[in-house]
Amino acid sequence: MTKTTIPVHLDINGRHHDLQLEPRVTLLDALRDRLGLTGTKKGCDHGQCGACTVHVDGERVLACLTLAAQVEGRTITTIEGLAREGEMHPVQAAFLEQDAFQCGYCTPGQIMSAVACIREGHAGSDDEIREYMAGNLCRCGAYPHIVAAIRQAALEVQS
Amino acid sequence: MTVHNIRHGDASDGAFAEAVGGRLSRVDGPAKITGAAKYAVEQQLEGLAYAVLVESTIASGKVRAIDTKAAKAAPGVLQVLTPDTIISLKTAADWFGTPPPDKPYCPLARDITFSGQHVAAVVAETFEQAVAAAALVKVSYDETPSIVDLSDGKAGDGIPIDAMTKEWGDAQGAFASAPVRICAAYNTPREYQAPMEPHGLIARWEGDRLTVWEPSQWLDGMARTYAEWFDVPFENVRLVSPYIGGGFGSKALALSHGAVAACAAKMLGRPVRLVMTRPQTFTGYGGRAATRQTVTIGADAQGNIQSIVHRGVNETSIDGMWVEPLGSVTSIMYATPNFSSKQNVVRVNSVVPGAMRAPGENPSAFGIESAIDELAYEVGIDPLEIRLRNYAEQDPHAKKAWSTRQLREAFAAGAERFGWSRRSPEPRSMRDGNQLIGWGVAAGTYPVRRAYGEAIVRILADGSVEVESSSIDMGQGTYTILAQTAAETLGVPADDVVVKLGDSRFPRAGVTGGSRLAGVMTGAVYKAATSALDQLVGLAISDPRSPFHTLQANTLVVANGRIASPRGDGPDVSIAELLKSVGRDHIEATGDTMPENSTPEERYKNYTTIAMALPHTEGDYSRHSWCAHFIEVRVDEDFGTVRVSRVVSALDSGRLYNPKLAESQWKGGIIMGIGQALLEEGIVDRRHGRIVNNNLADYLVPTNADIPDIEVISVGIPDLHSSVLGGKGVGELAIVGVAPAIANAVFHATGKRVRDLPITLEKLI
Repeated sequence: MTKTTIPVHLDINGRHHDLQLEPRVTLLDALRDRLGLTGTKKGCDHGQCGACTVHVDGERVLACLTLAAQVEGRTITTIEGLAREGEMHPVQAAFLEQDAFQCGYCTPGQIMSAVACIREGHAGSDDEIREYMAGNLCRCGAYPHIVAAIRQAALEVQS
Repeated sequence: MTVHNIRHGDASDGAFAEAVGGRLSRVDGPAKITGAAKYAVEQQLEGLAYAVLVESTIASGKVRAIDTKAAKAAPGVLQVLTPDTIISLKTAADWFGTPPPDKPYCPLARDITFSGQHVAAVVAETFEQAVAAAALVKVSYDETPSIVDLSDGKAGDGIPIDAMTKEWGDAQGAFASAPVRICAAYNTPREYQAPMEPHGLIARWEGDRLTVWEPSQWLDGMARTYAEWFDVPFENVRLVSPYIGGGFGSKALALSHGAVAACAAKMLGRPVRLVMTRPQTFTGYGGRAATRQTVTIGADAQGNIQSIVHRGVNETSIDGMWVEPLGSVTSIMYATPNFSSKQNVVRVNSVVPGAMRAPGENPSAFGIESAIDELAYEVGIDPLEIRLRNYAEQDPHAKKAWSTRQLREAFAAGAERFGWSRRSPEPRSMRDGNQLIGWGVAAGTYPVRRAYGEAIVRILADGSVEVESSSIDMGQGTYTILAQTAAETLGVPADDVVVKLGDSRFPRAGVTGGSRLAGVMTGAVYKAATSALDQLVGLAISDPRSPFHTLQANTLVVANGRIASPRGDGPDVSIAELLKSVGRDHIEATGDTMPENSTPEERYKNYTTIAMALPHTEGDYSRHSWCAHFIEVRVDEDFGTVRVSRVVSALDSGRLYNPKLAESQWKGGIIMGIGQALLEEGIVDRRHGRIVNNNLADYLVPTNADIPDIEVISVGIPDLHSSVLGGKGVGELAIVGVAPAIANAVFHATGKRVRDLPITLEKLI
């Protein structure tokens, strides 16, 4: 490490992490390269694909367009922190049941986006789900099953 | 001794989810939805250094000089590699195993033949430092004029590829005398696989042993290439690829960026990670070549085809050869007494094009399936009826019987479900307010490619089962269907089977491409599991310590992990209990799909090249999977925007090993086809030959909002000429025919025939 690093304190999935980082390190690279939290994926590094979607204070954020130092003091949730006490989140369970993925690379981002999509109240119809999930690309083409999974999970979450 | 007979049924024959044919959810699913699945470059290694590529900004010329001074002085930089400083490699054989020229190979270029060619690389302590320093490398060039694409005036007519010529009868003469004649040109642009996981790797040397963690559709083929580059024994290279974030044809070969990373690791004595940026993925390897086709059809007044004359061209690179077989569907889809197809390739300043989902069949089908639609309107026949009227009862080219061809059934099932009979035949005759509605149909096909694979099946002391193979799962479901195959064959729950893939130390497998893996590997696992079961039952009957020893049974039944006699009398023990009683801690068997008595050299060639793949017309049959797509589009009359609003596809992939996963792959192929039809096009800057839209915001792949609900129907029947368990290909098939079905629907909606993909609004207004 060079002298150009700064201390960064991150609260990720309920755990506190003290890091020494260059200010230019993105949240995505901090997660993947410094903390071994590789569930959050890098697909484009330019905010174009959604694979790096995480939650910051409960809202979906692209980790590749967020500097790690920007999110100090805020609550970060990644795919690794979505299950509670070993119990899969209803969106995760629905993704498995509906076969809403193939290669799995966009999947963590899709799931984090889907959880937020439901929380935002944007899962009211299939068309609304399609629109509000349009920022998460899936080249395997799992879209119809992603819509089905979110429809199913939304009912469960809302009840 | 036959101890277990696998059932062969139709596509949905899985009585329960865990058997072959059952709808078992992905066994690798829990790891993928929790973030636990570690993809290749996500390994956490001590001492990892980070490499970033520097690429050419001209398409043709020479590197005059590379100024690395500023980059070398940048913080954290360990190494700057240029053609002058990188270690020399040997040239490796191509994927056919053709002996290479005896000359050095340098993965960094001095002579530039395309924009985006690797010219240097920077290795640093952190990724950020490597990115920053790579921007400081100054490359100067002597630029020469380039041929930017097929429409460049300097491109010429290209090189005839005689091996692509297919001819019978007198095609020109029959066309000239045909009462109905159509002739049209069809173009497809450069398209890109764009898997969500960018290409990259981690390379680590330990002495003269190399480990490469790299997403790979072909571990053994890539390991061979690395071994040949570095002149080390094949066994010294280990490829690890536990999960692959999409490939679509692009991850089957070791590429120059891999050589750069492995050189850097060797020179530095540290593991090195190199991942392409998303823009680099547009030039670091080839997408689908741009193609041009001319299709002429001569027919009688009833639409019976008398002649097809087909000419095709695809682009290739200046110093590489890629042939996209454009006559592959043209020559087999319809019965015709006279036929001629020829093809040229044209050299342009591009990276050598590569395989992308259904290479050949995909653009080929765009030509013939558009042309037959044009013929249908010309003679005034329903587009579905004209396809049935010209139905090929046997392979018109090979003159052999189809192994199975459920295409008639696909047309019938798809039309029924879609409501085709309610179609109003005239273009522009169906509308909903401002939207013109069009219904189109097209067929698709893909040959059954067959190669070789081997697997180990181990029954462990606790009764659980391990399956190992160096084949891979990039989302097609290999982990799952091999677990189902072992579970059903052995008579154990699928939960008790652990499938291990993606490590070249495991038993070998050929390339995962051309939809061949499932048929090959289920066959290998079936054979290995059958042999393990024979051993297990043999021990139970004959070992004096076995509780069944006194039963004098000829055979025993294994079900749900327990062993019993078929009559139900005698003991009933778990596999674990039996193994304990006979003093064994495991049973192991290897199975493969190789011809018997194959030599070690033949085996090596089978797994590390594609030279030994079996032709789909081998023996008495011609083997293909088939499909029919019925698609509705809505075209905004004012703006010319096209939306796909409904898709019903009926597909014949033979027996499905897992319909749940096969349906997903089919839908994925259809969605990629929607992208091809309406969105995808590599745009070339005509001054410097660059790909302008080399990112995911400008190269448009379908988003969730572009895709309607899609219905797929399986019409396949088991095809035992195609594979051990009766399946045919799944993954490549479904994209074939989607683009012409959409183009045909757009014509029905608007009366405008678009023969140049993608169908964008300016072509309609």
